[in-house]
Amino acid sequence: MSLRATIVAVLWMVLSGVASAQTHPDLSGYWELTYLDSQHVPRAQLSPRVTRAVLDAQAKKDFKAVRWCNMLGMPAIMASPRPLDIRQTDRMMAIAAEVNAATRYIYLNRAAHISKDIFDPTTNGDSIGRWDGDTLVVDTIGFDPDKGLTAIPGGGFRTANSHLVERYRLLNNGSLLSVTFTWTDPGVYRTPHTYEFRYSRLPRDYEARLPVGCDPFDEGRTAFLTRGGGSR
Amino acid sequence: MAVMRFALAALGMAALVLNAPAALNAQGPPDGVRALEGGWVRLDTSGSGNFGGLTAGFARAVLTPEGAAKIKPQRDPDDVDPDERPHKAGEPYIVTQGRCGVGGPGAIEPNSAAFFIVPTRDEVLIVREGPGGRHVYADGREHPPLSRIVPSGAGHSTAKWEEGDLVIDTVGLTEGAVTAGGWRTPETHVTERYHVAADGVHMRITFTWTDAKIYARPHSYAFEFERLPADGYAFENWCDSGDPLQRQSVVPPVQLP
Repeated sequence: MSLRATIVAVLWMVLSGVASAQTHPDLSGYWELTYLDSQHVPRAQLSPRVTRAVLDAQAKKDFKAVRWCNMLGMPAIMASPRPLDIRQTDRMMAIAAEVNAATRYIYLNRAAHISKDIFDPTTNGDSIGRWDGDTLVVDTIGFDPDKGLTAIPGGGFRTANSHLVERYRLLNNGSLLSVTFTWTDPGVYRTPHTYEFRYSRLPRDYEARLPVGCDPFDEGRTAFLTRGGGSR
Repeated sequence: MAVMRFALAALGMAALVLNAPAALNAQGPPDGVRALEGGWVRLDTSGSGNFGGLTAGFARAVLTPEGAAKIKPQRDPDDVDPDERPHKAGEPYIVTQGRCGVGGPGAIEPNSAAFFIVPTRDEVLIVREGPGGRHVYADGREHPPLSRIVPSGAGHSTAKWEEGDLVIDTVGLTEGAVTAGGWRTPETHVTERYHVAADGVHMRITFTWTDAKIYARPHSYAFEFERLPADGYAFENWCDSGDPLQRQSVVPPVQLP
């Protein structure tokens, strides 16, 4: 190889290395479901084991979570009617909601989940992320089946065995954020259940509002919820 | 000679490209960001054994007469101790209604749970192991007029970077007590200076409260923090008002002489 060719090769390697280190999109910002063609949710193919009785029992648990103002968790946090504040560094991405849900932490600096021996299941699970080109791929396990709102858009619910893969990518010059959710859980789904939400970026001067309040001892609220025929 | 010129030109181009990340970073937060980013937990270095011990070493607030007149006893609205009398050792009593999900993001002083700082170009997000968070605007904006702020436990916060320290200014807090004998109203300013030590592991947050109506001089104190280990992660503080165990009883232990 000539000296010139060697220099070109070295330069190409340096430049491509810099490019790969710098080209991760920054998803930071306030994002809101617009409800205008923003949710593409097919009906889930449920496992035969998910009978009407199973669904009713799960709905009863979810009602209790709402009745008592429990933290919602995944996937409800991502369907928040209020904007999500997504903040990304090269080690972590945090998703804070204006509803009663624990902040989601997505670790970008580790490739493996916390050992099941030490991780206490949570409403949001344990999330790790990696970049696949311009797409952030987030892998989550470790869900608590008994806490929060467990219903999954399109049908089904999260369990201790649920596995969620999300793919985050910017569209439309960064003004839209597409997130596809794929749930696999042999106890709930016959085939992986995939749906997409699209979020619009809010103006840079948007300021987060106070979180939506929820008082479990508000008698009017309780009467409203129970009058609707829900379980107590 | 031609090869040498080509090599110099190539190296020059490489230097330009390699410097580009620095130029990009110049638009983002400064170097202090890397030091500040991550999980932190409070070190109770100044006292233990009771809640008062933690702040017993802090200088007490020096109040104006008007400020002193504002001070009134406060109690947690969730506190349900019905008779407010001392309880004998071994006598259980209920201390909380177990009320969850009310009140928003809570006070600005970190409690004993871990909290996480996520600094980005426009905003520093400070979040705990539960709902809510502090959205600290670092894009140069000013506070809105107080008339446009709904007072809250987090208030309205803006930030700037000073010599690697993050300096947050907050107004719009709900009226109430301040650590070490202070008081606050929505007009009161609190400045927090986040300083990470050279070891990268320890951090001090210095709180300074100023309000000419309340304080004769700025009221200042500091808490110390330690970085979570590299493999640390956020827990999730669970609270369920529907769980009878949430309304915990306290059984006072026998006190040693």
